[in-house]
Amino acid sequence: MRLSPKITQALAVAILGSATFLTVVVLVFIIIFILGKGLPGVTWEFLSCAPKDMGKAGGILPTLVGTVLLPSMAIAIALPLGVGTAVYLTEYTRENRMTHILRFGIDCLAGIPSIIFGLFGFIFFVVMLKMGWCLLSGALTLAIMILPTIIRTSEEAIRAVPNAFREVSFSLGATRWETVLKVVLPNALPGIVTGVMLGIGRSIGETAAVIFTAGSSLRMPMAAFDSVRTMSVHFYILAREGISNENAYATAAVLVISVLMINLLSYSMMHRFIAKRSR
Amino acid sequence: MSPPSNIKISVAHFSVFQGKEDALRNITLDIPANRILGIIGPSGSGKTTFLRALNRLNDLAPDVHAEGQVLLDGADIYHPSFDVVSLRKRIGMLFALPVALPMSIFENVVYGPRLSGIRCRKRLSEIVERSLKSAFLWDEVKDRLQMSGLRLSGGQQQRLCLARVLAMEELEVILLDEPCSGLDPVSTAKIEEALTALKSKYTIVLVTNNTKQAARVADDTAFFLMGDLVEYGLTEKIFTVPSDNRTNEYVTGRFG
Repeated sequence: MRLSPKITQALAVAILGSATFLTVVVLVFIIIFILGKGLPGVTWEFLSCAPKDMGKAGGILPTLVGTVLLPSMAIAIALPLGVGTAVYLTEYTRENRMTHILRFGIDCLAGIPSIIFGLFGFIFFVVMLKMGWCLLSGALTLAIMILPTIIRTSEEAIRAVPNAFREVSFSLGATRWETVLKVVLPNALPGIVTGVMLGIGRSIGETAAVIFTAGSSLRMPMAAFDSVRTMSVHFYILAREGISNENAYATAAVLVISVLMINLLSYSMMHRFIAKRSR
Repeated sequence: MSPPSNIKISVAHFSVFQGKEDALRNITLDIPANRILGIIGPSGSGKTTFLRALNRLNDLAPDVHAEGQVLLDGADIYHPSFDVVSLRKRIGMLFALPVALPMSIFENVVYGPRLSGIRCRKRLSEIVERSLKSAFLWDEVKDRLQMSGLRLSGGQQQRLCLARVLAMEELEVILLDEPCSGLDPVSTAKIEEALTALKSKYTIVLVTNNTKQAARVADDTAFFLMGDLVEYGLTEKIFTVPSDNRTNEYVTGRFG
């Protein structure tokens, strides 16, 4: 029996629509659940005070600072390396066996579980280089972890820049480097920002690799060689050790809101940049 | 032996290979200064390859290589010591499809001058006004130079591209690759008018699919076919008494 096109159409709309609806409902439910449980605990004091009694009381200020510092440092390290690699692979080399092997390696790295990076960071930065558990060890480890994502998204973005733009730039007497700076990177920016956003998201949410390399000190981080605890780690320890469920939820709520704000901010910045170029 | 002073570009025994196939075979022709050379021929005849060989844009494509000689003012542009970047500042190019870069009209025009290190705002503004006037676009855009070049119409974008080429102060030769193929008759007329006015200052090479356009604006015409230069001479002669029968058939519209 064949269904009439009208009925198949209606069925497709119904199935795809409910899939979308279900996804959104789950997402909204999680956010409402966390905010509902956590927001009552989020006070000015919670945000601005140091934790007391292992986090059972007091606030989360040092972990808030750690959450800002660690991913920012990781991005600061990974962004130039990642975009540089992507530019090199797309603009400065022709496709050959070497680039294929490199790209395959990068894809493999992207799929490795974060705890492996944590273990590597622990053995290499913390122990071998004697850096100890600190902000810098953690940032370097996270940078290595998010590098494949940044390279691949930047590469796709750079590839999507029309070749005609490059030809025009070259034909006007630009060198390859000038073409990259003036035409390729500005037009690839939205894609690169997406890669950076994914990287920030991964490093903010990371716990395993961070505990292994940055430690979990509750003191305020003052230097690159201080141990630091991020909100994710704090949340994990509070819940895992059964220290305080209320404070764990409150920390999670702050985390969710921070991620949301970072996303909104960078997307609005990006849209302003794009609008400026096409107005 | 140096070429006569009125020869701008001298091409001798020049071939281009794409992989193993030859796209251009043993081309020899002299391009005189301050004239418009029209290049006609059916698609696939090597016109565009020839044009892109003159500013070495073919270098960008993988496995394309050239043999033979191209002299610009007597200097071999394919010699390893020849600076490609400075070559492209002297030889500007207009593409078949207008490509306005996603930036303002002003920034589009000063793209070349900025690369040459010109920073002075007043000087850049003068360059923009002069170039846009030469490209017959100034009156249409003078009040909205900060608007994105992408918002212009196709015909306006192509004139913007022409202005962008004219803005280069080192410019000596203009290459045009079917610049009017996507344009309406009015825009086409404006481009042709600009070209005729520009030949006193520059040497112009115009590749066109439109034989009538070559007849209208070119002083000399070269007819390419399947990678060979079939015939080259004064436009008048090519279109009235061509010496090769294939040229005759092409210009009278019997094939191609």
